[in-house]
Amino acid sequence: MSDRTHAAFTPGRSGRADGAPGLIVRECVGQRLASLIARRGQAERASAAAARAFGVALPVAPRAVAGRGATFIWAGPGSWLVETGPELDDVEAFLGATFAGTASICDQSDSRVVLEVSGPRVRDVLAKGAPIDLHADQFSAGDVALTAIGHVGVHLRQVSAAPAFRLSVARSYFGTFWHWLSSSAAEFGCEVVAPDPQPARDAR
Amino acid sequence: MTAAGNSRQSARLASGGLIDRGRPLRFSFDGRSYTGYAGDTLASALVANEVRLVGRSFKYHRPRGLLSAGAEEPNALVELRGGARREPNTPATVAELFDGLEAVSQNRWPSLRHDWLAAGRVLAPVLAAGFYYKTFMWPAPFWEKVYEPLIRRAAGLGRIATGPDPDGYEKAFAFCDVLVIGSGPAGLMAALAAGRAGARVLLVEEDFRFGGRALAERRAIGDRPCHGWAAAVAAELEALPNVRLMCRTTVFGSYDHGVFGALERVNDHVPVPPEYEPRQRLWRIVSRQCVLAAGAIERPLLFGNNDLPGVMLAGAARTYANRYAALAGRRVVVFTDNDDAWSTAADLTAAGASIAAVVDARATTPAGAAPDVHRVTGAVRRALGGRALQAVEIETERGALLRVECDLLAMSGGWTPTLHLSSHQGARPRFDEQRAAFVPAQLPAGMRVAGAANGERTTAEALAAGARAGVAAAEALGLGARAPAIPAVEAETSAQQPLWRVAGAKGKVFVDFQNDVAASDVELAEREGFRSVEHMKRYTTLGMATDQGKTANVNGLALLAARAGQTIGRTGITTFRPPYAPVAIGALAGPHRGKDFRPLRLPPAHGWAVEQGAVFVETGPWLRAQYFPRPGEPDWLAAVIREVTTVRSAVGVCDVSTLGKIDLQGADAAEFLDRLYVNGWKTLAVGRARYGLMLREDGIVMDDGTVSRLADCRYLVTTTTANAGSVYQHMQFCHQVLWPELDVQFVSVSDQWAQFSIAGPHARDLLRAVVDPRHDLSNDAFPYLAAGAVGLADGTAARLFRISFSGELAYELAVPARAGERTVRALMAAGARFGVTAYGLEALGAMRIEKGHVAGNELNGQTTAHDLGLGRMLSTKKDYIGAVMARRSGLVDPARPRLVGFVPVDRGQRLGAGAHFVAPGAAAKAANDQGFMTSAAFSPTLGHWVGLGLLVDGPQRVGERVLAVDPLRGRSTAVEVCDPVFVDAPGERLRV
Repeated sequence: MSDRTHAAFTPGRSGRADGAPGLIVRECVGQRLASLIARRGQAERASAAAARAFGVALPVAPRAVAGRGATFIWAGPGSWLVETGPELDDVEAFLGATFAGTASICDQSDSRVVLEVSGPRVRDVLAKGAPIDLHADQFSAGDVALTAIGHVGVHLRQVSAAPAFRLSVARSYFGTFWHWLSSSAAEFGCEVVAPDPQPARDAR
Repeated sequence: MTAAGNSRQSARLASGGLIDRGRPLRFSFDGRSYTGYAGDTLASALVANEVRLVGRSFKYHRPRGLLSAGAEEPNALVELRGGARREPNTPATVAELFDGLEAVSQNRWPSLRHDWLAAGRVLAPVLAAGFYYKTFMWPAPFWEKVYEPLIRRAAGLGRIATGPDPDGYEKAFAFCDVLVIGSGPAGLMAALAAGRAGARVLLVEEDFRFGGRALAERRAIGDRPCHGWAAAVAAELEALPNVRLMCRTTVFGSYDHGVFGALERVNDHVPVPPEYEPRQRLWRIVSRQCVLAAGAIERPLLFGNNDLPGVMLAGAARTYANRYAALAGRRVVVFTDNDDAWSTAADLTAAGASIAAVVDARATTPAGAAPDVHRVTGAVRRALGGRALQAVEIETERGALLRVECDLLAMSGGWTPTLHLSSHQGARPRFDEQRAAFVPAQLPAGMRVAGAANGERTTAEALAAGARAGVAAAEALGLGARAPAIPAVEAETSAQQPLWRVAGAKGKVFVDFQNDVAASDVELAEREGFRSVEHMKRYTTLGMATDQGKTANVNGLALLAARAGQTIGRTGITTFRPPYAPVAIGALAGPHRGKDFRPLRLPPAHGWAVEQGAVFVETGPWLRAQYFPRPGEPDWLAAVIREVTTVRSAVGVCDVSTLGKIDLQGADAAEFLDRLYVNGWKTLAVGRARYGLMLREDGIVMDDGTVSRLADCRYLVTTTTANAGSVYQHMQFCHQVLWPELDVQFVSVSDQWAQFSIAGPHARDLLRAVVDPRHDLSNDAFPYLAAGAVGLADGTAARLFRISFSGELAYELAVPARAGERTVRALMAAGARFGVTAYGLEALGAMRIEKGHVAGNELNGQTTAHDLGLGRMLSTKKDYIGAVMARRSGLVDPARPRLVGFVPVDRGQRLGAGAHFVAPGAAAKAANDQGFMTSAAFSPTLGHWVGLGLLVDGPQRVGERVLAVDPLRGRSTAVEVCDPVFVDAPGERLRV
């Protein structure tokens, strides 16, 4: 099979077999990703451009905001990861139309594997690796963290209060990360469901 | 004769205790079978079965029994489990009993009762304090070869398993507003106060049951027995959604900013962890406030033979009777200098034991003491008995000697607050003379100490202090808190007049039971000048065993203080360091062991390489194809020769996705590159690539790679595989710290692109078949060092770079990572008619050596651009990182070893990297060293081995012969110095 994410990552149940799975994992495919980095001194103009074109300002704190046709995910001071729909052939050209002169854009669509994780034990699983307080009082839908889980860099964000989290991992590290995630979830039972080609909508 | 070996639990009380008589558990100790109950520890089950002898001491192999009932236990260390799960040094007092538990005593041979090593006791006089430094000194070589191995064998502490641990370990993170450490009366009240106020509370208890000291006492709290009160509070806490309770978890370390380390023994209480569950879990707890309510540890009294089995801490004897319904003795003498041990007399009487005497060093008797008890004012001078206590010898205050028969001596020298966690960050506790205890002085930010850990000894004090601390923690968080009602507790006194050492004690007086340090050792150390507590500790080893002297330290420094004639407060206490209790290395490693020690990176087309039968090699975090063997090839070299020959004569494809790739944009991108690299970039045209070299600030070469100009203000920077991370970090530092004024934006795209090298005379022909026909790939249209976007025939948007590492006509084709696998398949299919081969890292390395290209072996952090023959690249028209330091005299010294090539004089001989050069006829010693071979490979093109190396004056010595001395491989080879470029020196092939 071509274009596979990782040989060991296949739909189905793993770990504890009885009861409802504690962790549900779905790969998010089809979305386009790009880095957006403000030019020197241009962050506010870039944000204004985003507001005009997408209806949202660029987040200045670790948050993700969903605009019309693009979600802007904080990735550091003056830096964002932009997620758009699958219909775009050229995400750089699409964003370039809005941010020319205010930000540099770089296609990252293939650089990450993005998983959406949910299920009743999702926080317990993530607590085995994420040094981030994901308690509902501290971290809620739209919150973002750049962190490391099991020695692998992870761009983490909560997408719903349920809760569900989106974990974006550098593609070359995915095998290691999946090994960590599946073994950490094993005691609760882990279910990988087939990818959803339409990226789920972010909470506003 | 004791009842050891029976299964009747002859010392078990008929009723009472927090054990489940309906759930008997079988276990074995030293191969004999016994029965205990659910709720027992191994220690309490041994008490119930009247097993008195549980260990042999470390140095003198003296018989030892249980001293305590908790984590402080120095004597009863056992090996648990068997096979690969065998683990040494678990105190029997903390080993939760389970059905089928197998425990073995340690440090004896062949058995506990008949320990031949105890013959070593005749050596006792030479094993005194500091013996390591004084005895066994002659003859000198004997220390390492004879004495030390002998001593080490005799002084063993159990055996570790030799097979790989079959169990899993995890790490986890927890966050809370208030961490409460310990679930005794103080901890429960603190958790209740903070929990009811709405704080996120994490209550951590090392025991398997919540309640702490409340589990071991008979008194009532409110209208319930204290264990019942504890259970009710724990149940209320469990029901609060904002409170989390963790038992079987030891907080072992306190660190900056409210961070604590804790070890959860998830499955130590079952023979084998359930499938998918870890054995232990290491927690990193981040708290905003903390209440330390870890209780206190009772001190032994110092009299002769105080280590005899049957001599036990008074509080422990009470714990065994009250919590475990097990009598540690039937005829009991209590020896104390404080009020608390009088409860032991009362509780053991209630449990059916007879109290032969209560020996109190003080003249006073606490209020409420039983009037009919045989009270003696005086001290126990020594314990009498062989392998078990038979009697004690008492000296009364009037000087009379009494001998009292007994099988248990319950002693109490007062209680030492368990304040370790308050002191891990360096704060020194202060000695409170009135309480005769060290108590916390300064505290880490956010920490409060409550109850016995703070020297507050009575239950009433602990309840009140816990409630206060919980309220204060909640208020510090901005929460309104009301103190929970303090339940009534019957009156209790806690007076003490410390008796640090019994005068006129007869026999060996032990201070540190686990390390066999006696009072005489401490006194000897003081006489010999080791008067600082830290010196005394190291000289005598007091406090340095696995129990870290929990029952010993304060007694030891009280002795030192008395000898030195100063107060205990002035004498001070040794530093507390994590961990509070031993933590297995496996738990610290967590899941990151073996192949999971560090992350593994796989290039996008890894699956394809697996299918091709590639042999892989780890390069940094990456797994890369080393070579692609074919059937019939006898060894790796045959595969490499075929791969190189095919590339040089036809075409080959190599996955080079692992190289670091950084997208650089911005108006000042060229200026940024000019400052980063030794060579200039402002003349690089759009659509062109150039080789670049960067130095560290100190002038040494840092990395090399190519930079391609993709658009007016956009470049693609590549790095070596090994330095991808550090170069990116370096660029971030330069931008964020050194030149924030530059308008540059860059981001790693290493994972975005799969990249393949297509090299060989047929490289263009092959590419022609996969690249969209509208692109002109002719040498004129796309010459050497051209770079640009191309479309592939299947529609993939790609980038093409005409760069060559092999020296052949070569391209690197980059496609989005997800297209990597299908693209390499397309390349291989298109190349079939040209005889294409996949080639790996070995062939790549051999070809770069043939071409004299430097790589990681030469960019070794010690070489300059001049050393590598790249001095011409150093621009004189601009400044760049490393420019100034590279001009230091030591770095421009013409005598530095410089890069040249080598061939064996006898072309049949092989070369090896690492061989050092000496002049012919010179001795192979460091003084004659003239440099070394950095890289060597068999050159399929030339048919013999070739090497690159750094040789003093190298470029001036072409044609000379030197000797390559390789002591590691045991050979010396005569080599001839030559130009480092072995193949196509003019570089014509790559420009066709």
